[in-house]
Amino acid sequence: MTVTLPEGDLNGRLDHYLEGFRGRHELQEASVEKNVVRLVIRPDLLPAILTTARESLGVLHLSFITVVDLEGSYELTYELLDLRGGTVRVKTTLEGEEPVIDSVTRIYPTANWHEREAYDMFGIAFKGHPDLRRLYMWQDHFDHHPLLKSFEISTKRTFEGLR
Amino acid sequence: MIREERGAGEQTVEERASGRLAGTAIRDEFGLETLDMNMGPQHPAMHGLLRLILQLDGETVVRCDPVMGYLHRSKEKISENRMYPAVVPITDRIDYMNNIAMEYGYCMAVEDLLEAEIPPRADAIRALLNELGRIMSHIPSIGFLLLELGAFTPILYAFRERERIQDMFEAITGARMMFHYIRIGGVKSDLPEGMPERMWEYVESLEERLNPDFIDLIEGNEIFVARTRNVGKITQEKAVEMGLTGPPLRCTGVSYDVRRDYTYGWYKNLDFNVITDEAGDVEASYRVRIGEVRESIRMIKQILEALPEGEVMADLGRRIRPPEGDGFGRAESARGEYAVHVVSDGSDTPYRVHYRTPCTVNMQLLQEIVPGHYLPDIMPIMGLIDPVSGAWDK
Repeated sequence: MTVTLPEGDLNGRLDHYLEGFRGRHELQEASVEKNVVRLVIRPDLLPAILTTARESLGVLHLSFITVVDLEGSYELTYELLDLRGGTVRVKTTLEGEEPVIDSVTRIYPTANWHEREAYDMFGIAFKGHPDLRRLYMWQDHFDHHPLLKSFEISTKRTFEGLR
Repeated sequence: MIREERGAGEQTVEERASGRLAGTAIRDEFGLETLDMNMGPQHPAMHGLLRLILQLDGETVVRCDPVMGYLHRSKEKISENRMYPAVVPITDRIDYMNNIAMEYGYCMAVEDLLEAEIPPRADAIRALLNELGRIMSHIPSIGFLLLELGAFTPILYAFRERERIQDMFEAITGARMMFHYIRIGGVKSDLPEGMPERMWEYVESLEERLNPDFIDLIEGNEIFVARTRNVGKITQEKAVEMGLTGPPLRCTGVSYDVRRDYTYGWYKNLDFNVITDEAGDVEASYRVRIGEVRESIRMIKQILEALPEGEVMADLGRRIRPPEGDGFGRAESARGEYAVHVVSDGSDTPYRVHYRTPCTVNMQLLQEIVPGHYLPDIMPIMGLIDPVSGAWDK
């Protein structure tokens, strides 16, 4: 069982990825910049687009998932690498108090702990995740999600009190 | 929670004395007994603070569930509340065996936001220290693997090498572990006088010592082969699926190295090979690490031969205030792909910093490959992944 990684000219490959996404899905924004294919999508399309990336275009590696708390909404960045210089960066925004998004563990099994971390730190529920427990914080008796902007660290409070 | 499930409160003294607290016997559907056991978080052979909840059938592991967070220091939250330059010493403490790569990734992410030009000498010094740091991390990790298998000598040789490299780092940066040397826009100071010659002399002597002190001692040793060959076997597909990077990926034969495939800094001027191995077991990961030490020595020599002159710090002004947007930095640490994502809102402090540490991702492998192995094989498998507590817990 061997893995075949993409070969050939990088710019041509990136254009191929961009056309592949454009032809199959409805995208809000799509561009190629500095060896990165940037996509902005609706959250409900995420599993379909990542399936296209892995199964049809051969982008095999999910590097990380970043969540940014924009106070009112959450911005999620999925960074996919083809391991040969090309990057696909998928951005989507979740609205509302109780954010829910489809899990991508069936497409990229490595997303398992990335999603557990995002759930732990931001309280984002990943629908269809096989084992959605906290990764770092206590399993019981701890109701906070520490990386939310509403969770203030104690030293900051002290500074405000001193001022 | 676990205590309640086991009904620890209701146990009589006799039951406790018979060892019921250490583990609970459970009968599976065939009437066979399996035993739940905790390994860690404080275990003499464990790489830091990790707790593994194991289900054992005899001496074979049936289920392995890693529990992390015992060294969680909330690096990402701390980074959000500090000014940009003050985050660099925080990144030092993520992977404390290979700090230089951690600083490097973060500084690249901020420089990506600032679109800063780095002077060539600073770039060369960064790559030089990064490779030295890789040797400083790989050689003790080989020593630890052997220590866990019961060989005490290699760790002594390994720490002798680490000590000598630390002496050089002390002369360059002023610190032995938490360097805070790579800064946003360059490096803290130029190399001290005579340092390139001393470094050249050191790597030449290390190259000579590699064979008698490490390879002859380890390779082909009967116990080493028996304990590591075909242990922790991973296929290429599994490795890519699990998102592995670094030596655990390359020991299966997938040739991926951030330094070559997503090249950065001075690495585009260097000529080096990406070491791979076909076997995909613990022994192969050892061979990859030794091969990478040799490649690092080659790279250090190439950098020293053509070390450019000039400034070591770009002039970015006293106050670093990047424009709004995203900055990405990606570096090859000794354990795999390390990536930093910095989000700026135009103020003095980052809005969000995300660290992708290779250890966290590579550790998912434990759940997948430990079941089916014997209990004592867990330690060599940990040697394959070579995680660092500070890096997986952030």
